[in-house]
This record gives sequence, structure tokens and C-alpha cells, in this order.
Amino acid sequence: MKSLFNRWLPGLTLGAWAAAIFSFAGSNLLNEILAGSFHTYALIAASVMTVGMLIFFFFKMDANCCSAAECGHGLSRSNLGKILSFLVLLLPASAAFWASPAALSKIQMENRMELSVPPSIPKRPNKDTVSTPPKPVDQSGSQQTGPATQQQSKDAEAALNTQDFLTRDESGNIVSEILDLLYAAQDSVLRKDFDGKKISLLAQMMPESSNNPNGNRFKAVRMFMVCCAADARPISTLVEVEKLPDLPEMTWVKIIGTATFPIENGKRMSLIRAEHIEKTEPPKDAMVN
Amino acid sequence: MTWFNHSFEAFAYALLSIIFEGIPFLLLGSLISGFVDVYVSSERVIKMLPKNPVLGALAAALMGLIFPICECGSVVVVRRFLRKGLPIGSAVAYMLAAPIVSPVVAISTYKAFTGQSPELMVMLRLGMGFVIAFGVALIFQRLPRNRILKDSLADSPKFRRTGLQTSITSNSETSDTPAEPDFNTLVAKASPGKKFLLAIQSATADFLDVTVFFIIGASLASLFIGFKEASLIGITEAPFLSIIVLMGLASLLCLCSTTDAFIAANAFGQFSMAAKLGFLTFGPMFDFKLFWLYSMIFKKRVVTMLGIGLFIIVSFICWRIDAVEKSRNPALQTPVAETQETSPLTKPLSLELPQQ
Repeated sequence: MKSLFNRWLPGLTLGAWAAAIFSFAGSNLLNEILAGSFHTYALIAASVMTVGMLIFFFFKMDANCCSAAECGHGLSRSNLGKILSFLVLLLPASAAFWASPAALSKIQMENRMELSVPPSIPKRPNKDTVSTPPKPVDQSGSQQTGPATQQQSKDAEAALNTQDFLTRDESGNIVSEILDLLYAAQDSVLRKDFDGKKISLLAQMMPESSNNPNGNRFKAVRMFMVCCAADARPISTLVEVEKLPDLPEMTWVKIIGTATFPIENGKRMSLIRAEHIEKTEPPKDAMVN
Repeated sequence: MTWFNHSFEAFAYALLSIIFEGIPFLLLGSLISGFVDVYVSSERVIKMLPKNPVLGALAAALMGLIFPICECGSVVVVRRFLRKGLPIGSAVAYMLAAPIVSPVVAISTYKAFTGQSPELMVMLRLGMGFVIAFGVALIFQRLPRNRILKDSLADSPKFRRTGLQTSITSNSETSDTPAEPDFNTLVAKASPGKKFLLAIQSATADFLDVTVFFIIGASLASLFIGFKEASLIGITEAPFLSIIVLMGLASLLCLCSTTDAFIAANAFGQFSMAAKLGFLTFGPMFDFKLFWLYSMIFKKRVVTMLGIGLFIIVSFICWRIDAVEKSRNPALQTPVAETQETSPLTKPLSLELPQQ
């Protein structure tokens, strides 16, 4: 009985936590739950816990902290208390198997204040869609550096800046993210690349109640996560349509329309005048981080 | 209810995400604690710090600059050092200051507040964290150890963990080991491999011990997912009320001190700088999960008093800062969210546009 509590259960707990983290990583759910570096920390922790579990199982180890007067852990002074404490430790890991990220997102979209001012959002616009253009090259493939070719180089670069660094879909629409549009609303240089252009956007639909004079607007929302899913907050852009689509809240939709940045109520905002909206599957990484 | 909206599934998922976020830091703290337990003797700990208790507390409050650790990890480390005989003032100074007075926090705060006086915010946050931790440490230094520490810690380092002793003696091939030897003697006699195993099992014991309380705190914090933040909007016009509301929010959200600045800077645009400062100073010093973690070191009554005391001190300082800031610069009263166009000050730091 003593080795059960002091050796096997601690080893098992470490193993269960490590397994929960690894299984989340394997099914890509860790991306939904943790942002960038925290993802790595969790995987390192899971590896350390696995090593800890193996040490407990292969060596005669004893994690009993509560047999001496120094123990401040009241639960572990009786066998019932020890069982209770291990249940507390294992319950969240078990919860992992029935919890759903969609349930959390819905609650957060309704309850959390929106991130509407991008200046200090700690990320640049979508790294896949906005990136430094490559240096122009001549037909032989070598880079042009001489003074005679400087003007050509500038022209080519300008062309690339306005066209090629933005990813486009097969119909020529700019594939954008809500963050791109929020930044564009604040930054006049970036705005030129989107203003009046056809874009496509993947987001979740939520009703708009405050800024909707004609009743033909909804919010295209994504969740923005700073460190973990519990602190995620919605970011959104307004979408204007002729007729609101008959889809339930939180439905993932692909929106194709024209990006505009009007000033309303004294604030420059992002508004998509949608031409086509269709229901779609959620993207691989539903949370933006 | 208009201010509360919840589901069990969302609660479970939020709980899991908070735990996954915190566990690496708890584990790091436990590993440090375990290795300190085995490789750092009580005598060495006492020798390391200045003999003068005031200077000791001062040095401990700045230790986070060299050994940065978040609030979850620092509690485990402090508990270990208290058992090693560290003076209580130094322990409290490190425990309260390390999650704030650290280079990681300084950088994250600076980056998060880009366009919102980042230098001032970093200076005020770290400065307040240091001054308050040092002040509270001086008060704790004057109190009798047995009145504030839990009984199990007050008498340390006399008592040692018998579970570890049993483990070692059962593996020992020599029969000259006493039935309940002093832990230091056991460590001194252990081979390098055994020392490593002792450190791992000590770390695991600490990790499991602390994680139970961390989960209880995280569960309470996860309930907060159901709270509608929009119901706070009307409060922002009252300076003192807005400060204490954000401080209360910080203790409910239980955010990690290394990243909480991003939430404060982004989500609470309509709150004053002083209210955000209160959020960033009080949260890492006293939140829901920390209440449970501190209760492993101090008596519940002391933890409650510490919480109330910190709340009063932080809210008062922030209230005064708010008054000074508003008298110096009335423009600060304009919420960031209402600015029409991007000024040079509000340009995003991390926006990487293609070179034109």
C-alpha cells in the first residue's frame, strides 16, 4: 500500500500529464490551447515528466512528502486524503478527453472585450501573406547591382510590393487575415495594399448589434491568443452584405468581398463589402497567435 | 444573468489551458527546489546572503534580475529555502519581487506597451514591485516566525522528509545507516547517482504537492471565463474604482507575469494607465492560485492579511500615480481606443512591412 502511494501513483500522475500533453500535441490541439513559446515549454515539461515517470518505475523511488512534521499538505496525512489529492491531480488531464475548444471560443467571444486597437498586438500581420519581397533578378537569375539597372530594380520592386507579396487565391483575391485588416485600418501604407481590393477571409460569424444601422452587417471574428486559450480574446472586422446569410452564430465562413476602411463614429474601421459568403471547414489553427 | 455566461465544457477547456501554461513553470520551480534540497546546504544559503536582515531583504528583492522565475515557481523555491533556514524577510522579498523585478517581465511589458509610454510603464511596474516587496519583507522580518509560518515550516530545518530517508535506507547495502538519519548526513553519504535520484524524488514530491493547490486555484480562475467584461465599461470613469476593479480582475484571471502585460495593454484600452499598473503589480503578487500556494507556507490568516495589505498599498499608490499623471498630462484621460488615426507614438513596434 505504501509503495502504491509513494511510488506508483506519483509515477502514474507524471505519466498521465505527459500523455495528455503529448496527445494534445499529436492531435494539433496544443496549438489551440497554447501560444508559440508556451507550446514548446509544455512539450519540454512533458518530456521531463516522462523521464520522471521512468525514474519512478525503474528505481525504488519514494515521493512521500507527508510523513514528516514538515509537511504542509493536509490532504496527504491519510490514505483517503492521498486518494483525493491524486484525483484532483488527474481530473484535469481526464477532462482533456471531453473538452472542446469550440465551447470555450463561444463563451469568450461573448464575454471578453475585443482587441480592437492593434498598435500593441504583439504580432505583425499574417506572416504568410505579408513578407519581404525577394530582390529582383535578371533573366539569367543573377541579382542586378550596377547603377544602370537601379531604376529597373526599383520598378520591379515596386511591382512586387504591390502585387506579389500578397498571397492570392485562384480567382485573384488577396488571401487576408483579420489582423491584416486591423493593421491596415491604422497604417496608411498598409491600407493602400488592401483598400478597394478584392479579398478573401476565413472567420467565424457573430451578430453585430452596435454598429449596424441597416441591419445588414455581421462580425467576422477570430480568437487572438496571447499565452493560453483561457486568455484568448476576439478580434473582428465588420462585414456588410445585401442579405444576412442564414447561418448559426460561430459558423466558419469564407468571405469574398471588397476591403474598405471608412471612418465611422470618429474611428477608422475595417469593413468588408461582401459579395459571396459560403460555409467552410475551420482552419488548421483556429486561434490566431 | 447579464454578467455571467458559462458552460462546463468551456470551464474544463479553460482549466486545462491554464494548467498546461503553468505546469512547465511549476516543474522548473520544483526541479530547482529539488536540486537545492540536495546540493545546497543550509549553511551555504545563510552564508550567501548579507548578515544584515535589511540588506538581505534588499538583495533578495533584486534576485529576480539574476534568477528570473514566475510566481508559480517562486513559491516552491521559497518554501525550500525557508526550510533551509533562509530569513523570512529575504524569502518574502524574493517571493513577491521575483515575478515582477525580472528582465523577462521588463521586456514583455516594454513590448506590450509600445505606443503607450512603455519606458514609464516598465519603470513604474518594476519600481513598484521592488519597493512593495521590500517594504512587506521588512514587516515580515519583524514578526515571530512561528506566528506567520505554517507549523510544519516554522520549526525547520529540524524536521526532514522521512519518506526520502526510508527510500535511501531500503536501497542501502550498508547496515550502519541509522533508522532515521539526518537528511544532510544521507546526502553527504550518497553517491553522485543517488544524489541525483534524491533530487528528482524531492522535486517530484514538491511538484505533486504544489500542483494540487495550483489546480484548485486554476479551477477558481477558470470559473471567471463566464464573467462578461463588458459589464465593467461604466466603471472606467471613476479613477479609484477602475484601479481596484482591474486589480480584482488580475487576481481572478491568474495570468503569468511574463505575459500579462499583453492583456493589460490590449484589452483594457479604456482604462487609465494607473489602473493597468495596478493590474500588472497586484496580479503577480496575489491572485487566486497564489492564495492557495501561499497557504502552503504561511498560516491562512497571514495570507489573508497579506492579500488585504497588498491590495490597499497597490491601489493607494496607483491612485496617487493616476492623480499625478492626470494633473501633468490631461491628454492621458483620453482613452486609446478613441484616437482616430495612428500617431507616430501608436505605430506598431512589431509590424514588419516590406521595404519600399
